Amino acid sequence: MHIPDGFLTNRLALSLDVVSGATVLYAARRVKVDLSGRMVPLMGVLAAFVFIAQMLNFPVLGGTSGHLIGGSLLAILLGPMAGFLTMTTVVIAQALFLQDGGLVALGANIFNIAAITCFSGYAVFRLLGGASAKGKRLLVAGFLSGWASLMFSSAFCALQIALSGAIPLSVGLTTMLGYHAAVGIIEGLLTAGVLSFLLKVRPDLMKVNGSANFGLADWAGALIFVAMPAAILAYAGSSRLPDPLEKLLAGSPLLISGAAPEELSSAARMTDYLIRAAVFIVLVALGFLAGFIARRRSVKP
Amino acid sequence: MRHNFIDRYAALDSPLHLLEARTKILAFTGLIVAVLFIPVDSGILFFVYFFATAVLMGISQVPLGYIVGRTLFILPFIVLASLAAPWHGYMEVGALFIRAVLCLMLLILLTNTTRFVELLRGLKKFGFPQILVMNLSFLYRYLFVLTEEAMRMKQARDCRRVGRAPFRKELKILSSMLGTLLIRSFEHAERMHSAMLSRGYSGDFPLISRRRFSWNDLAFLCGVAVFITSTFGLR
Amino acid sequence: MTDYAVRITRLSYTYPDGTKALEGIDLDVLVGERIAIVGPSGAGKSTLLLHLNGILTGTGSVKIMGSNLEESNLKEIRKEVGLLFQDPNDQLFCPTVYEDVAFGPLNLSVPAAEIPRRVDKALNDAGLDHSIGSRSSHHLSLGERRRVSLATVLVMEPAILGMDEPTSNLDPRNRRHLIEVVSGLKATLIIATHDLELVLDVCSRTVLMDQGKIWADGETHDMLANAGLMGKHGLEVPLSLRSGVRST
Repeated sequence: MHIPDGFLTNRLALSLDVVSGATVLYAARRVKVDLSGRMVPLMGVLAAFVFIAQMLNFPVLGGTSGHLIGGSLLAILLGPMAGFLTMTTVVIAQALFLQDGGLVALGANIFNIAAITCFSGYAVFRLLGGASAKGKRLLVAGFLSGWASLMFSSAFCALQIALSGAIPLSVGLTTMLGYHAAVGIIEGLLTAGVLSFLLKVRPDLMKVNGSANFGLADWAGALIFVAMPAAILAYAGSSRLPDPLEKLLAGSPLLISGAAPEELSSAARMTDYLIRAAVFIVLVALGFLAGFIARRRSVKP
Repeated sequence: MRHNFIDRYAALDSPLHLLEARTKILAFTGLIVAVLFIPVDSGILFFVYFFATAVLMGISQVPLGYIVGRTLFILPFIVLASLAAPWHGYMEVGALFIRAVLCLMLLILLTNTTRFVELLRGLKKFGFPQILVMNLSFLYRYLFVLTEEAMRMKQARDCRRVGRAPFRKELKILSSMLGTLLIRSFEHAERMHSAMLSRGYSGDFPLISRRRFSWNDLAFLCGVAVFITSTFGLR
Repeated sequence: MTDYAVRITRLSYTYPDGTKALEGIDLDVLVGERIAIVGPSGAGKSTLLLHLNGILTGTGSVKIMGSNLEESNLKEIRKEVGLLFQDPNDQLFCPTVYEDVAFGPLNLSVPAAEIPRRVDKALNDAGLDHSIGSRSSHHLSLGERRRVSLATVLVMEPAILGMDEPTSNLDPRNRRHLIEVVSGLKATLIIATHDLELVLDVCSRTVLMDQGKIWADGETHDMLANAGLMGKHGLEVPLSLRSGVRST
């Protein structure tokens, strides 16, 4: 899921570099203010932990294997901001040590693997009342948080690749979401498994998460966070300025809606993309909104 | 799972290795960006940059086999992308392929001619956020510590099992391994924090560089800058 | 007028989960003294050391070089009190040895020009060569890491040095080397350890701790030779005293 250089349009990659950079700066501010000193060594060591955990393969049926990504787990343990910074560290380290993921594509990879997993995983966890849960409820929240984080992450990845013209959105989304629906189960199971282990052995560590309050402002922020960059992605992909990969789209028919290739002009195709992207964003936002309302109703914070 | 992927060839002393980290970060980033902006139809430019990369590879003394081996990892992506070839045209896919390979090779060169520690120092001087620099530094340091602990746990686990256990058992085993490693991580961090406080820690973190920016660095940077501007200027 | 390096009065500490770690500890240490703290595992030795520079704060009072330990003077205290922890891995967190040793002085705002000299001196005092500065700690042996950890503390030129199990896991040669280094230090020493031979070599006074309390405080040789006392607190009379190898 680490995108190498050259697969995204330059505009897209650079836009994501800006978005991720801004998010990193913002998160750095937040973490410094919230938790003095203790968090810093912790983030570093846990970054090493996640790096290693991602290399510990878990045999699944046949010869394939899965592993823990760790975004939602970190967000649950450290809070979304610190978790995000830790995952960012891991992504950068993977690019530098293993050349896993490109340099200019770093922004996109940070966005998908660090930002989306942590924030969506945390949001789902909180939505399901995980913060104050014990026992089964906690495990279920952990499982779904892990699973959802992969789903959202891979969806954005597919969106980016589609907007870059390499693979059509419908094909991309189906394969990515389908594949990660299965792999996400491993993520969910391992997240829940580790949480349950912690609960048994060191329940005090579960309270490291300093940001116990995730108020209305944070929810609004989370929604905007998901919607805005996605909107930027869509816009970035739609500009008419010359761009090397845009030539890919210009003359070549992509069978996205089943219409015969000759009938689609490039503008129409781009509109099609935009509509699909917009629908996706709206669905995600509605989902969060619904969950938020349901939570306000049922559980008192 | 060995940790010989870090700094594997960074201790050589080719002319590239001797350059300061900032120089290389700037130069290679510039080259990667330049490659990404090569237009699809410009075969000449692709060739020129391929040649330049080959020259740099030669100078760097990093084994060719290693570089090629690492580049192979990109193959699955290329295969996927080329599935769209009938629609896009083979030239476009070819361009994608060359771009991706070149960028990857340039990245491999950057990271294998610079010790990770030097790279961090360079990033810090460029104003990279302090918190990320510290995190990367600790990640680097604790990767070895935790890898040793993980290997020991793995060996202990392997000693006690025969063949492959059912799915649920495997899951439980991996969860406990991860959980134990996680707890150890927390404990390390706690003790490290005490040690940091004991030595007066209040937010600053030293990354002291001994390499100075020299004429060689200036020359290399100018060379790369001229190269990029002329190749794109003449297009 | 005697100068006290450390004066601890009725110090008690309870962990967040409720376990009592220290109960009513009274301890006075003179400047230049070398005392050992011995006791079974879990006695509270390490916990006590952590109170010397304010990492942990319990009830009761801790005075370092005459000043009470307070939030406001922690920085000065941490300059005066150096702590050597048991696991070198947790004290060496910088990319290279040089930076680890320089970490302390940099935090104390020692002028940049001074630092190389201080680092070299500290490495020397710890029995290491200056060339080790450019190496990364994970490439060092345990003995070297222990000594580098010691250097990171010595570089701050503390008046009081607390050590937690300094010789644990060291092979005989490294252990001997470390004992030599420690014997040559001028600071006030407070060493928590299971290594009773080390205690006999270095410390003239020994404090026996068990279950968070001090049970005995006196001359090393007499205390360690007291089989009844040692046995009662899960310790043994050291071999050299038993077989009569040592005379003093």
